[in-house]
Amino acid sequence: MGRIALSPADHRLAFALLGAVALVPLGVQSEYWLGVLITGLYFAMLAQNWNLLAGITGLFSMAPSAFAMVGAYTTGLLSHHLGIGPWVGIPAGAVVSAVVGFGLGRITLRLRGAYLALTTLAFSEILRLVVANSIEWTRGDLGLSVPGILGGAKAPILYLFLGVLAAYQVLLMLLLRSRVGLFLLAIRDDEVGAVARGVDVVRYKTLAFTLSAAGCGIAGALFVHFLQLASPELGLILQTGLVISMVVIGGMGTATGPLVGALLVQVASEALREVGVRHLLVFSALVILVGRFFREGLMGLLARRRSPARLVARPASDAKRLA
Amino acid sequence: MLTVEIVFAGLLMGSFYALMALGLTLVFGILKIVNFAHGEFFMIGAYAYTLLVTRAGLPQVPAMLSAVVLGAAVGLVMERLLMRPLYTGVIGPGALRDEYAIIVTFGLSIFLINLSHQVLGPYPVKGPDLVATSRMELFGMFVSPHRLLASGLAAATLALIVWLIKTTVWGKRVQAVAQNRFGAAIAGIDHARVSALVLALSGGIVALSGALLSPLFHAYPDVGAFPAVKSFVVVVLGGMGSIPGSILGGLLLGVLENFGAIYVSYEYRDTFGFIILMLVLLLRPQGLFGERAREV
Amino acid sequence: MSAALLALSGLRKSFGGILAVADVTLAIAPGELVGLIGPNGSGKTTLLNLITGFYPPEHGRVRLLDRDVSGQPPDAIFRAGLTRMFQQVRVFRRLTALQNLEVAGRAAGLSAAAARQRAGRLLERLGLAPHAGDEVGALSGGQQKLVEFGGCFMSEPRLVVLDEPFAAIHPTVKQVMVDVIGERHAAGQAFLVVSHDIPAIMRLCPRTVCMNAGAVIADGPTEQVMTDRGVVEAYLGGHAR
Repeated sequence: MGRIALSPADHRLAFALLGAVALVPLGVQSEYWLGVLITGLYFAMLAQNWNLLAGITGLFSMAPSAFAMVGAYTTGLLSHHLGIGPWVGIPAGAVVSAVVGFGLGRITLRLRGAYLALTTLAFSEILRLVVANSIEWTRGDLGLSVPGILGGAKAPILYLFLGVLAAYQVLLMLLLRSRVGLFLLAIRDDEVGAVARGVDVVRYKTLAFTLSAAGCGIAGALFVHFLQLASPELGLILQTGLVISMVVIGGMGTATGPLVGALLVQVASEALREVGVRHLLVFSALVILVGRFFREGLMGLLARRRSPARLVARPASDAKRLA
Repeated sequence: MLTVEIVFAGLLMGSFYALMALGLTLVFGILKIVNFAHGEFFMIGAYAYTLLVTRAGLPQVPAMLSAVVLGAAVGLVMERLLMRPLYTGVIGPGALRDEYAIIVTFGLSIFLINLSHQVLGPYPVKGPDLVATSRMELFGMFVSPHRLLASGLAAATLALIVWLIKTTVWGKRVQAVAQNRFGAAIAGIDHARVSALVLALSGGIVALSGALLSPLFHAYPDVGAFPAVKSFVVVVLGGMGSIPGSILGGLLLGVLENFGAIYVSYEYRDTFGFIILMLVLLLRPQGLFGERAREV
Repeated sequence: MSAALLALSGLRKSFGGILAVADVTLAIAPGELVGLIGPNGSGKTTLLNLITGFYPPEHGRVRLLDRDVSGQPPDAIFRAGLTRMFQQVRVFRRLTALQNLEVAGRAAGLSAAAARQRAGRLLERLGLAPHAGDEVGALSGGQQKLVEFGGCFMSEPRLVVLDEPFAAIHPTVKQVMVDVIGERHAAGQAFLVVSHDIPAIMRLCPRTVCMNAGAVIADGPTEQVMTDRGVVEAYLGGHAR
């Protein structure tokens, strides 16, 4: 899959998609659908951040929702108990999530594959249960009411989310162009080989965890100010499952896959709800199919259709480039 | 007397944990993966037994057996359809393989939970106890006869499986494939068949646990989640792939949990399993009996 | 002693109850091409792992150019000037051949352009230029081994450690490796080559070290070591563990 993934075409497509989303409020006035799109953008942020950790660095974490919840409750608690506004609360959410992510990254350095998945799963559930049970602080399952932003108007909020997502996309692109991106991909493919080739695996794995957590934290903080409610349900493994589905269906390890997956899944969820079919039923089935047969997800299918020859060895043109 | 009662009750529950953990560890031994859909076999067993008795009017014993068969069948189908790529060489070794296993089994888990939610609805259904009397006295302690019988069955199944694996020819084949699939294949063992049967076996015994415990836990879509977590804890504690580890770990967890529920916080009781899991994975990932794999 | 490139003193490492490396003391001078032989289980790979930072020694020191690197992680050892190849080929399967080499180059501090250039030239020398843009996972085993081999030279290391480089590969691939080792040695590169391929060692390495049961039992000019009594017995099972 290395051909389409993270290639210039991949990044261009991602930005084109974001551009298309930016045009939606011009045509769609329905508050409901704008809300659906905003939720889709929230998930797109989580999806991209999870992709950084799992698709690019190979660290299969089950904690993206937990970090979203950390960000959400940081800003929620700050506003609820201390009256601190969202424009301080949201960055604070990012910082706290980053710190927690850094910590989790450090302690799980020696874990791989399913062991890492299990540990992050346990971590995610512990965090959620603590939040849900700390009723004096968080009001538990009743949720914490949180002030809105931008007057609660959907279109401006959508552009805010889009702006943050675009900023994230740019950062990702720059990261992947630098040697850090190359190192993360190397760690994904063979951690032992990477460290033998001089990659400071400790530093870069921790970096991936920290960035991913911070990104999820910002998303969570933004989202609760949109919903005007923070609830422990944000951190359910169910939500993580949804995020993972989005990335797998869209295409793990690509720049566009998580975006496509998130938006598609979000819109499809609405359609499925009309029909009375549980959306996770359909998406998990797709995940199994994709995992089993179309490993590269939608992006992979797209790549194959556009240029099947690209999957085969390229002859002379590369040799010329190397002179 | 109280301590003995706590230990005894803990052992009763522990026999189930041991049985379920055995199922998980067998799959790990054969396929070298953690089956994230493990809990859903429990759910299948719980629903099968409960619905066959309450809606289809089947007597309890055939319903129980049917639950086991259903669990085994699902395990078999899962192996054939989804697990083959793990050893047919389509996926390379290492990172890609782990990724595949997690995605596919986790996806299956969510799929099965939502399938039962969609088809059977979210509300718990309860089936009848195996034994009608609710309490009896044993050595001065009050126990539920159902629990006693169920645990007895679980323990007997446990012993049967261990006997199967350790002494029979088939069991030796399983051990061979677990130790070295390639070598076993060269020696003429049909390793694909062994894989399929082990997964069927695992599905069956986990479904049995679900069926036996369903009068207690009831049957609902994600009833398998907590048993799954407990299985993970036991297997990680005892060492992935270690049969004695799973059994001892299961019994130990049952007893510890009982003490914990009575003497420590009730609110956070669900977090204990997760905390133990994290601690073990961080401090001694190979568990009490497992071996540290050589990486280089 | 300060002339030594790599100096091992009293290295010891055990696993469980088994002593895998027993008080090994050894020195390699700059530009030397040394072979390391010994029957299976003699501790060769463990010694390599101790040298390259994958295991910390229980006892003893590893010095690279007079700098004590004992117990440092492998990436620090890479930066100190020592690179290695593994017995089971290790490559980045989803990266291209070019990118595989670029990783080592960028880790060594080269700019993107410089790394790409050097990688390109190396691939050219190894005969892999047509596959520069191919995912390494799609290449044959021998080609993957060459990619891994090429990665050892991106950082212009002082010492290159090869673990069974000639095992199970096509003769043409082996020839490329042997030629490159010869060329680089002539240009002053030091090598430590672990191998069971005695004829290859005899052709390539002026000096050979033999291990058995964790200890060094012979160390000297290759012809002498190959005819040494103890070495012959070790290989024929006299004192093998």
